[in-house]
Amino acid sequence: MNKTSVYSLLLLGLLLAGWEWIAGQMSELVLPAPSVILYTLVEGLISGYFLPHILRTSAEVVLGLFFGCAIGFAIGVIMGEVDILRKLFFPYIIASQAVPKLALAPLFILWFGFGMTSKVVITALICFFPLLENTMTAIHYTNGQKLELFKALGATRWQTLTQLKIPAGLPGILSGLRVAVVLAVVGAVVGEFIGGSQGLGALIIASQGMMDTPLMFAVLILLTLLGMFLYQLVNLLEKRWLKTYLEETKR
Amino acid sequence: MSFLTIQEVTYGYEKKGPVLQNIHWSIPQGQFHCLLGKSGCGKTTLLKLASGLLLPDEGTIALDHQQVKGPSPSSGYVFQAPTLLEWKTAMENILLPISLKRKPSPEDVDYARHLLDLMGLSGYQDQYPKQLSGGQQSRVAIARALIQRPAMLFLDEPFAALDAITREELQDDLLRLCQLNQTTVLFITHDIAEAVYLSDRVAVMAEGKLVHEVEVPLPKPRQVEMRVQPTFSELCWSIRQAMNGGQK
Repeated sequence: MNKTSVYSLLLLGLLLAGWEWIAGQMSELVLPAPSVILYTLVEGLISGYFLPHILRTSAEVVLGLFFGCAIGFAIGVIMGEVDILRKLFFPYIIASQAVPKLALAPLFILWFGFGMTSKVVITALICFFPLLENTMTAIHYTNGQKLELFKALGATRWQTLTQLKIPAGLPGILSGLRVAVVLAVVGAVVGEFIGGSQGLGALIIASQGMMDTPLMFAVLILLTLLGMFLYQLVNLLEKRWLKTYLEETKR
Repeated sequence: MSFLTIQEVTYGYEKKGPVLQNIHWSIPQGQFHCLLGKSGCGKTTLLKLASGLLLPDEGTIALDHQQVKGPSPSSGYVFQAPTLLEWKTAMENILLPISLKRKPSPEDVDYARHLLDLMGLSGYQDQYPKQLSGGQQSRVAIARALIQRPAMLFLDEPFAALDAITREELQDDLLRLCQLNQTTVLFITHDIAEAVYLSDRVAVMAEGKLVHEVEVPLPKPRQVEMRVQPTFSELCWSIRQAMNGGQK
């Protein structure tokens, strides 16, 4: 462990101690102490109370991410590759970007019901745009000289796409994925806020109704952990795919 | 016998005047020709036409008695930048022209390794382009152009971004390899000394026209000492004057 990470941990301890002290002066309803939150969290985890909710939200996030990213990537590739389609649809993409997608959540509940489908659709829709835009831009702005090289080597359009444009655009596409992963959790939780009896978002609403602030904080921590886990997963992918060749010198 | 023949070629980009006018040129088999000119004079366009990346508006271009209608598999290309694929190792980059057509055979891999050795890059085969220096990247790009044993090689200012010493080393390597395989070469540069040192014949281009042509009488193989000989300097000076349209 190096020096900065020691200081970083020290800061965390200091913050928690400060929080614990301030919480002692206040009602638990307003600000529960970290120790209380930790107790609620551990108890909920051991008793299995949180488990179905965690599974539900994770399933929504993963399914939404998968469909949103897959469709976003596919359409991004097509629009990056075919000029006429890009010019035709780009104004609409811009317009639909401006629509606050979370505001559409009630509509999707209306269309797809209170079950899991509506949340997956909301999550997918939110993940769709960053992937679409990043993929399209990456495919469209491939280095001209490299394109010329592939032309000179007599590569087919498919080869140029799979062996040049997509690998060259991978850094951009992955940064789109990074944005999508963070947004996916927001999408699923907001969907659960609006209509749902299961999932971590629904649990937050329930704890609000029960005025159970420690529970609410415990759920917030779970959501944070879920988001961080997914984010680190993308980092891992990036390391596997990119770091090997982006590093200047191998040690 | 002429290997690459350019006849009465005229070319213009949309909405601009002609970039190239009435270009007439032929390169005999196994010869090394340089095209010299300031930036923006149309020399890269001529190279793209000769290599089949562009098609002329008027006139014909023939490679080995066949009219050029597109990029030919028997030609090699080296661009201004090394244009290596960052996600492939040096070896994979060299084998790219082959792997786009079929799976590289063990013989291909052996030849690629041989080219790496000739380029002084033995042991670098598993390095990624980012881990190589600028000069090493250019060497890999040249090896990639040579992997299909091309009869014709097109180079577009491949050494422009390198320092003088590295450039001299690469020039010698290139000459040696082309001599070895009897490759016909069209080389584009804006560096007069480079053109004189490398080529059998130098053509000067200005504003879309070939304005001057000169044979280089220096003996082959070329050696570094020739760069300081009076004949070399005189040749450079006469070409320098031609580039300015005869005025000093």
